[in-house]
Amino acid sequence: MMKLSKRYARSIRENLSFYIAATVLTVVTLLLYFLFNIAGSAILDFGEDFFARNKLEDAHFSTYMPIPGKELSDLEEKYGIVLEAQRYINIETGDVAARVFERTKKVDLYEVTEGRDVVREDEIVISEGYADANGVGLGSNMKIGGKEYAVVGFMQRPDYLYMLENEDDSYKNISTFYLCYMTDSAFEKLNAEGCQYLVRYGENSDTAAFRKEIHETYYMRSYSAAPENNRILMVDQQAEMFLVMSYVLLVILPLIAVALISIIISRKVKSEQRIIGTLSALGYGKGQLMRHYAGFAAIPGLLGGILTAVVSAAAAQPLGEMGLADYEPMRITCKLNPLDAVLGILLPTVLYVAAALLSVRRLLKKDTVLLLNGNADSGRRKGRRLLADKRIHFSKKFAVRSLLGNPARSFVVLLGVFLGCFIMLLGQGFFDSINYMGGVAADALGSYEYQYVLNELLAENPYGGESLLVSGMEDGDGNSISVIGTAADNPYLNLEDKDGGAVSIGDGYYITSLAGLTLGWKVGDMVTVYNPLSMEKGKIKIAGVIQNNVQKSIITSRKSAAELMGLDENGFNCIICDTALPVPESKVAQEIRKSDITDQVKTMAGQMDFLLKIIIVLGIIICIAAVYVAINMLVAESRGNISMLKVLGYDDRRINRIVLRSHHILLPIGILLSIPPAYVAAHAFFLLMMDYGVMLMDVYISPKSYVISILLTMDCYFGSLWLLRRQVKKVDMIESLKGNRE
Amino acid sequence: MFIRIKDAVKKYGDGEAMVYALDHAELELEEGKICVILGPSGSGKSTLLNMLGGLDSLDSGELTVAGRNLAGLSGDQRTVYRKENVGFVFQFYNLIPDLTVEENIEVVADISREPLDMEEVLSALDIGKYRRRFPRELSGGQQQRVAIARAMVKNPRLLLCDELTGALDTKSSKQVLRFVEQMNRQFGTTIVIITHNEAIAGMADRIVRLKDGKVVENSENSGKIPAKELSL
Repeated sequence: MMKLSKRYARSIRENLSFYIAATVLTVVTLLLYFLFNIAGSAILDFGEDFFARNKLEDAHFSTYMPIPGKELSDLEEKYGIVLEAQRYINIETGDVAARVFERTKKVDLYEVTEGRDVVREDEIVISEGYADANGVGLGSNMKIGGKEYAVVGFMQRPDYLYMLENEDDSYKNISTFYLCYMTDSAFEKLNAEGCQYLVRYGENSDTAAFRKEIHETYYMRSYSAAPENNRILMVDQQAEMFLVMSYVLLVILPLIAVALISIIISRKVKSEQRIIGTLSALGYGKGQLMRHYAGFAAIPGLLGGILTAVVSAAAAQPLGEMGLADYEPMRITCKLNPLDAVLGILLPTVLYVAAALLSVRRLLKKDTVLLLNGNADSGRRKGRRLLADKRIHFSKKFAVRSLLGNPARSFVVLLGVFLGCFIMLLGQGFFDSINYMGGVAADALGSYEYQYVLNELLAENPYGGESLLVSGMEDGDGNSISVIGTAADNPYLNLEDKDGGAVSIGDGYYITSLAGLTLGWKVGDMVTVYNPLSMEKGKIKIAGVIQNNVQKSIITSRKSAAELMGLDENGFNCIICDTALPVPESKVAQEIRKSDITDQVKTMAGQMDFLLKIIIVLGIIICIAAVYVAINMLVAESRGNISMLKVLGYDDRRINRIVLRSHHILLPIGILLSIPPAYVAAHAFFLLMMDYGVMLMDVYISPKSYVISILLTMDCYFGSLWLLRRQVKKVDMIESLKGNRE
Repeated sequence: MFIRIKDAVKKYGDGEAMVYALDHAELELEEGKICVILGPSGSGKSTLLNMLGGLDSLDSGELTVAGRNLAGLSGDQRTVYRKENVGFVFQFYNLIPDLTVEENIEVVADISREPLDMEEVLSALDIGKYRRRFPRELSGGQQQRVAIARAMVKNPRLLLCDELTGALDTKSSKQVLRFVEQMNRQFGTTIVIITHNEAIAGMADRIVRLKDGKVVENSENSGKIPAKELSL
């Protein structure tokens, strides 16, 4: 066996391009899985640890009447919760706004990440993201409300890892907004008036009763649960995006790639049947031969697995941090789990070895004489007899038989093209879908340009536009959903069903398609919704579904909405219009323009940007490697025919036309086959991301992306053929004839 | 002279492992004759055949076939030379397994300037009834007849046979040699046969012996007999 094992090095030398391409394919596909998995897990781990260490809130709320300190303690005891008041003040200095918080002891603690905590009254610690973005160093002086403070430290706070100035904002602000802490005595001097209550629920806390009591006693002004709070949610969303990508989509790639390489290995073993026959005739046992060929197959698996582990270990940290560029500088630790590393090495190795062993086992069941003659695998194959009786040119018959008579080989070429085009389309499709959604999302909301959310309920509308009654509600599980009360003839809302037919809502409760998908509600269902402030419940029957994958809403008449919310049926608190309206600023809680929706989509695109770039870059590598290994096998298996045609006087151009061109038909087929799975995979990803609070995106692949993906796949295909043309040229006629003599 | 080889050298390997496959070999053959080259294994027979067929090139020396010096030809020019002048028959037939008998012959006819009529060739070698069969469905003798038909269809000036009976029984061997002889007679094809089998030399016009890469005998065969009378 020692002598025999010398073949390993020789085999690697002779089939270097195959081993390189197979190893690269193994590494890249596994790497995609590993990197996203490591980054996602690291963010989740960091979040879990950071949130627990700094006592992340379960919710925060504000009330019209303050809750006295003693009553806070009573409420804590009564409901088994941790409740803490936190005062704050927003101070604008020039263009920059500082939100100065009172230091808390029980909920949402801040953590000094660099420098030290405040000791003196003229010292502050500020949010690290702002300091990084604006070049604020430790020891710098900053003015807040006319007073100068020395920055002695940077901090992070668990409910502000994604720095939104307002909870409804769509994009972080670290250029003109920061958080700030100072000593208690210094804070007192600011006369802060803002107050919010931070709460952490216990396992058995009756949250509904607590919220009801707060509303009834102190009049709830606003309530925001952590799972609905974008500042907190975004961190988990980012992690889940990485994990979903790694589990659901990227797991497909290594499997296809490993399957592809396994088939090639199995065919390579078959091509060694004369050697297997000879060794068997010389007295080598089944076990010895199986071990020998297992060694060949293990090379790309082990090499690929080890390289993956090494690259993952080295690249995970910088890549993970790059993926978090939009957040406060989270100190995540991206580590390759040793078990994952071992699995990454073993999985491809075991599958490659299994493919080789099965092949050897099958061959060893054949007659040794057949093996020695190289005829052990030449059973009757239907495809090889095709067109035998037809009078058409031999080259066409050869092409058809080559394609259909060698289904496994054709399958490998097809799989290579499929895999290459699939990953290209998928990466580009993500990009396109998100960008396309920017336009579609705005249109899905309606044809209005301006939306004025009022800070009070009005009965008369002297400003123009269409009045709406809008409020947030919750389902039984605390998931938020908006209720929109509108006039039936509102020209600004697109009330259409999934077939594009107009929906007349009357007094019925209609849900948007996104609400149906995320909450599992169907037409005819009787569902209970809760007022998030008062926790009063209302029961509604779902009358129909309005096609809108952007908003999670119940849409009904103003009368029905008012009834559900317990408000005056003539009241409204929102106006929409296609032009700007003269609504006094004092009456406007929020002015939203359509461009805000586009911004929100841009935020999402920004979150995915890193992920998409990696997919596209690695996609190109996968495309090249997958197509290359497939074409490499095609050329290797055609060596006999190539050499004979050479001997007979065929030039390389003609040989390429006869032997290799026959497989060109698989190129368009592979490309066409990859389109539906790319749509399915992208849709599956978007559906899963919807569960993490993202709107449901329609999969859209632009004509440009089709052209790019198809051209890249074709480039890879013809590039591989071009690279392998050297191999066709290199096919040595004499060696081949010698082989036949032997 | 149709074939002229002068001071031909072909080496393999380097340093101490260097072997002279052709060691300053000299040979001249007339057109339209049958030449049998004999010699033990490693004497340089196959190397000489490869050189004559334009499959390989000499390290030094001259090799002229039909007035064309093969020594200076590029790979592409050698391909054209093979296409236009040479037919091959190998010990193990080297047919393309995915093509039928007829299609294997068509492969050569397709690139030939003036191919012979397919039916004529099939009937000359008595393989018309197998035309739709694949090589694996034929016996060794039948396959070798297909290989001869494939070589014959382009009516080459030079037919190179490498141990063409090496894998055949006596009856099939004789039959195959008769077809080769017939080709020489009918078309005036120059035929070079390399073999271990001394008996085949009986059908030759010229007998050449090689030893250690050198031509040690090049003689006319005064006692030439027809192939059917060979004692194989």
